Order: sequence, then C-alpha cells, then structure tokens
Amino acid sequence: MTASMLRPTDLASLRAAILDSTGTIGIAGAGTAAGWAGTLRPVDAVLDTTGLSGVIVHNPGDMTVAVHAGTPLRVLQEELAPHGQQVSIDAARVAAGATVGGLIATGDAGPSALVFGSLRDLVIGVTLVLADGTVARSGGHVIKNVAGYDLAKLVHGSYGTLAVVAEVVLRLHPVPERRATLAVECALPVAAELATAVLGGPYEAAALEWVNGTLLTTLAGTEAAMEARLGRLRRVLPGATLTDERDSRTLGSDESPARRAWAEHSAAVGGSGDDAVLRIGTRPSRLPALLDALPTRSVTAGLGTGVATVVLDPADVAAAHEAVAAVGGTSVGRTRPVGVPAWGPAPSALGVLRAVKNSLDPQHRLGPGRFDPWM
Amino acid sequence: MALDRAVQRAFERVLDPRDVVSDPVACRAYECDGLTGHRVVPQLVLLPRNAEQVAAAVRVCAEHKVPFVARGAGTGLSGGALPVAEGVVIGLNRLNRVLEVDPVDRRAVVEPGVTNLDVTKAVAQHGLYYAPDPSSQQVCTIGGNVAENSGGAHCLKYGFTTNHVLAIEVVLPDGSMVTLGSDTGEQQGPDLRGMFLGSEGTLGITTKVTVRLLRTPESVRTLLADFPSIASAGDVVSDIVAAGIVPAACEMMDTLAIEAAEQAVHAGYTIGTPAALVVELDGPAEECESTFEQVKEICDRHGCTRLHIAGSPEERAAIWRGRKAAFAAVGRISPDYFVQDGVVPRTRLAETLDRIAEMGRAAGIRVANVFHAGDGNLHPLVLYSAAAGESERAETLTGAIAELCVEMGGSLSGEHGIGTDKACSMPKMFGEDDLAVMARARDAWDPQGICNPGKVLPTPRLCGERPGKYKAHPLEEAGVIERL
Repeated sequence: MTASMLRPTDLASLRAAILDSTGTIGIAGAGTAAGWAGTLRPVDAVLDTTGLSGVIVHNPGDMTVAVHAGTPLRVLQEELAPHGQQVSIDAARVAAGATVGGLIATGDAGPSALVFGSLRDLVIGVTLVLADGTVARSGGHVIKNVAGYDLAKLVHGSYGTLAVVAEVVLRLHPVPERRATLAVECALPVAAELATAVLGGPYEAAALEWVNGTLLTTLAGTEAAMEARLGRLRRVLPGATLTDERDSRTLGSDESPARRAWAEHSAAVGGSGDDAVLRIGTRPSRLPALLDALPTRSVTAGLGTGVATVVLDPADVAAAHEAVAAVGGTSVGRTRPVGVPAWGPAPSALGVLRAVKNSLDPQHRLGPGRFDPWM
Repeated sequence: MALDRAVQRAFERVLDPRDVVSDPVACRAYECDGLTGHRVVPQLVLLPRNAEQVAAAVRVCAEHKVPFVARGAGTGLSGGALPVAEGVVIGLNRLNRVLEVDPVDRRAVVEPGVTNLDVTKAVAQHGLYYAPDPSSQQVCTIGGNVAENSGGAHCLKYGFTTNHVLAIEVVLPDGSMVTLGSDTGEQQGPDLRGMFLGSEGTLGITTKVTVRLLRTPESVRTLLADFPSIASAGDVVSDIVAAGIVPAACEMMDTLAIEAAEQAVHAGYTIGTPAALVVELDGPAEECESTFEQVKEICDRHGCTRLHIAGSPEERAAIWRGRKAAFAAVGRISPDYFVQDGVVPRTRLAETLDRIAEMGRAAGIRVANVFHAGDGNLHPLVLYSAAAGESERAETLTGAIAELCVEMGGSLSGEHGIGTDKACSMPKMFGEDDLAVMARARDAWDPQGICNPGKVLPTPRLCGERPGKYKAHPLEEAGVIERL
C-alpha cells in the first residue's frame, strides 16, 4: 500500500489533514535530510509541509520574523537581506532548499554555530500541531521571554516524532558588512593548535572549521575594522591565504583555497553514493584524537564547537558510534545506506524521551522508526 | 497537615539527621523567596551535601508522594521557590563546589549552589567569564539561574542562561539521575536540556551544570547619555538597531529611577533629566572603536543633552552601579515598592511607557522605570506606601502592567519567571490548548505532580475554578496568529 499524501497550505488545513487521516504519519519538508536519523518505517500518510510557506510578519525594528515552517530558509534569507538582516544559521543544506521546520526538526547547524548556536538558540516562538489535532503555541514574538514551557526546544532535534511544526518565530541579527576567511593548509593536530591560539586571543572568529587539510578562520564585522582585524589574525595564522566572501556568490567558480574547502564542507555534510555520513560531537580538545582514530574518508570539523561531520565506510559506523560514546560524545547517522545504525548507546535520559513521546503522541503516529532502537 | 513521622525518619536515614530541619522557627527562614508577599512555612527543610543525597531525598519524596521545592539563594522574584505547606524544601546551598575549569575548551563544571559571580571569579584568571549577569549575580546561584533561564543586562548580545549551559545533571522527580545536553550542544533527540532550562524547578533538581565560558572582550566602551524625553532616547535605540549594531547592553532609566539611583549611590547621573541611556559596546578593539563613534553620532542626532563616556574601568563601574542600584534605591523615595518584569516588542516601548504613566496617574501611584531598552524588557517599579493603605491599588496596578505587556504583543515575564506570582495571568498570554499541552509535557517528567507543584501553570486551587472568559489574544486580533 502506498502512503497517502497530505499537502496542507495553512494551519487550518494542516490540522484538518491530521484529524482526517488515521495511522502513522511521516513529515516531509524539502527532502534535504529525509534519510537522517533512524530510517522512517513505512507510513500510512506523508505530510508534505512545503505548502506551508511564506513570511507571516517581519518586524525589522524588533529584529524578529514569523514564518510558516515549510519556508525554505534560503528564500527567507533573500527576503530579509534588503533589510540588512539574517537568520544566523549556515547549515550546508540551506543551499539545497532546506525548510525552517526541517532545520529545527533535525537540530542542524553550520560553522557559525561557534557564535550563534543552532536554531534552538534563535527560535523565540513556535506553533505546533499534535497528532491528535491540538494546536499549541509557546514563546512569542519577543526575544526575551521566560513565560511558560519552551515547546520549541522539544521539537528541536525531534525528527518529526513529537508534533508538526507549523509556524516559527525567529530572532534576527544584522548581516555583517564584511566577511573574510583566512585559509591555512595544515594537518589536523596543527590546525587544533592554531585554533586554540585563535580562540585564546581577541579575534572573535565567526567560524573555525577544518576541512580535509584546510583550516578556515572566518571574521565577520564592520568594513572599517576588518583590515586591522585580519592583519592581527594573520600573525597567528602565518602563510594564510585570504578569501573575501563579499562577492563569493557571484564568483563561485573562483579557485581560492577557502572556496574549495567550503565546497568540500558542503559535500561532506551532504554525503553521497554508498558512503555513510555521521555527525559527531565531543569536547573540542578531544576531537582531533577521536577523528584520528576513526577511519574517515572525509572530515569537516568545527574546532571551536567540537562538532564534526565525517564520511565513513558504512561498515565502520557501528564501531564509530561506540568510539564517540567512549569519550563522552554524541553521534547521529545522517545520509547512509539502509541498515546502517543511526544511533549508538542510548542517552541516560531515555526514560524522559519516552515519557515525552507518550505524552505528546500517545498513539505513536508521528515519525515511526526515527529513534530506533531507542523508542 | 503534619508530615508523617515515618517520612521524616526516612529522610533522616538518607541524610545526616542534623541536615533534616524540622524546627518550625528554623523552617520559617525558608518561607519565601524574593517575592516576600507570599509566605508558606514548609514541613521540613532538607540540606543535602551532595548529588547522591539529593537523589536519595527525592526518592523518599516520590515514594511517599511528598511535594518538594528546590531552593538556591532564594533571590527569585516570582515565588518560584515558595514552599508547599504539606511539603519539604530542598536547599542546594551546600552543593557549592566548582568541580572543573577547562580554559582550553572554555567551560566550567559547577554545582548548583555556586553563585553566578563566583563562576566568573573562578575562571577570570584565564581571561574567561560567564556571560549571563542577572542583577542579583553576587548572591544568586547557578542552579536558580538554570531554573529561571536568567538573563541580565548583557543578554541582548549574548543571550540567556539557556544559550550558555551545555549540560545539566538532574535528579528527576522519581529520584533517578540523568544528564541532559552534551559536551557540544549537539543533541541525540529532542532538546530536553532546553525544556528543563527555565522550567522554574518543576521538572527536577539540578545537581551539576556545565557552562560555556566566553573570552573576556578585548575592548569595552560604555557611555551614559541624557535625553530630553523617553521618546528621543527610544529613537536612539531604534537607530542603533537600524545601523546593524548589536550593543552588549542598552539600558534606559526615567527621571524617577535616576533620582533614586543618584541619591543612593552618587554614580554621576543627572538628576532631573527625563531619560538616561546606558550603551555598552564590546569586542575586538578596532570593531568596538568604529562602532562606538557611530553610537555617539546617533546620540547627538537625537538631542542628547549630556554625553558621559567612561574613561576608566572605575567610571564604567560607577555607571553600572547607578543602573544596578536602581531597584533597591527606590526605597529612598518610597516606603514600599513592587518590581515588575514584562516584555514588549522594542518598537512599542514609548507607547507602553505612556500607557503605564497614564495607568499610574489614574491609580494615584508613582511608577519609576528601569528597562533593558535593547530587548524591550521593562522593569517598572511601582511605588506605594503600605502605611497609607495603598498596597492593594499598587498590586493591582503591578498586575495590570504585566498584562498590558501581553496586550502590546509581548510577554508576562522577560527574566523573573512566572512562579506563583503570575501563574494566574498565564491565560492572558496563552490559550487553553497551549497551557494543556505545556501541562502534558510537564507531566511527562513529573507524573505524580510532586515537583514544585502550583507554579508556572494556573491551577484551580491558586486561581479559582474558572480562569475567566476567553479573550482573544491581541496578536489574534491583529491577524498574526489564529486559533482553531
């Protein structure tokens, strides 16, 4: 039996679609991370959120925006750009059309997590639709707000298993006048030392990523201060080549080391072919040794955040989960062949995870299989 | 109703019997937190010495269905640590060790009873600091900060407690111990750490916290500017935001607050000026300098009548002393006062302050205003005299101000929490279904309802059977949100 397709276009039709259907539901956004986390089991209905698209209200003076969750972040950024504002997240799959709701559901983030964290740190309000049709809001439209339980946090990283995210309110930041990246070709242990020097100094890097032999250090800020800041940073990154990202979009074919490395970063995060992609995290200082011990085919590693995305032979994934857990880290399988485990040892709070699932989706309609074998 | 003797003995078996306080006089020291108008004496006060004892004590509570309330320094302003009459208070002050400082990975692991400021003191030698800085930071504890998701003057740029806590060791309401969060912020499933942060002690008890540390900024520039009106000072803030500048802090005070603060600490504020703005920038030296020039120009453009730039760390400290003293200082110009905490969209600040002034005039009550202008978080100080019989009017006005903030599209609380104080106002901000789903999420953690019961969500016992006729949310009327 093939799954029926639900394609709501607003909150009312979303709720109706859930109430009118029976059985299990898989939530689908743009499909840029459909294979991440546990493999979705066959479902009775697929709920396509891409019809829930568009800005609800943008308040430039308050630096907030409310959007329908199926809005591609790339499209949102284009709408915000004329106001000099942005959502400060740069997950690689944004370029492929990832939706705001999908980025939340997968807890995704890119190199700028060093400064801004993930969307959990930027979402200030959310509207959810539960599997029983209940519509619930938490948070609001102001960036500072501690009233009530923060349900947005619960759906962040829930992979569509707790509720459908219908609307999202985000806090915005100014687009920096200028971004520039210094690239240094070096092995990971050297990169780790350089990263420690950068983080220990007054440079305030916007991103610090090592990609297959290239350390990328990005600065973001005012035009007036940039040359001086780059000059000082060069002293701790001798031999670095500069790539100005002011016009990187129009000069995409430029062969600078930083552009090549950022392209490799995107490729590694996206995964391809028969490889398995694993997202891992550990204390930053433990990351180099951990990565050295894994039989990786490609690595992009946030040396300030401790978060890396690695490409592995699928046969090595189970052991990699164990190795990460052994140093107290976290791991989750991303794009990979069928049958390759998404999760390693269960976290200590598994009982709470199960209780929250049973409380919000007692019939287990949403996202079956995403947390196999934990729940 | 007195607690069963057998329960007390059970606590005495898992703790040192001397750490089980049953003397009603001694227990009275725990009858309230910073919201002193609400007082309840608990049956017992438990003072565990380590996380295992906390877990053991909670297991006794779970077994006997005894409600428990965790307490840090008791500085909360919303009655979040108000005891439950038939329950126990678990004081975390003895869990006060800094367990680890890791300057390379820029983090510290601390017990919940460590004060906010002591975290920064423990790491300052490495050029690091802990960013969230609530005004009570000298005494408030990290455990309390986790419970309240505390903010502070610098959260516009740096965020709140939730953005600076990586992992939390928690004793759940059944007495089991778990770790929420991770070493990086990466999640393996829903962000339980995020739900726990700011849950006001209703989901469990924090026994260990891993906090992120930031490098002390290379450069900090602070100015104090006077303006002929609140509106012109507000325009300055708007222009700063429009210029793409994110100040480290942006604080405003009105004439009454300035008068009180200046009388109290002589920090160099101008008595009689209608509005004063404190703007602080930080970052790499070059960045900070160029942006600071822009801010000065913006101040001039809006009729700034006096611009004082802190020329030394001492002068900067003086400016902040004036700002942070404002709450307590109003005691000099009024025998009694309430501190309110509400949030409005920043662009509606001036309009909101006009409305508050009007409401104050109508009630015959003075209101002084101190607020985080960058993020729209207001702290109106409602001045009254209990001796003159103004208490009830003042309390009504204070509540009305919080609800005005919701009407303006804002929130009942920016940082003080809902606690006991505002639980009955929650239906003004959230619909029945919103609150019901929050309750479902809460019950998942605490199915017996013994963990700080009666806080955050309205209960019939606290608020009466009917929370009142449903009134459309202002955002609903504006067509921004819809109810189905």
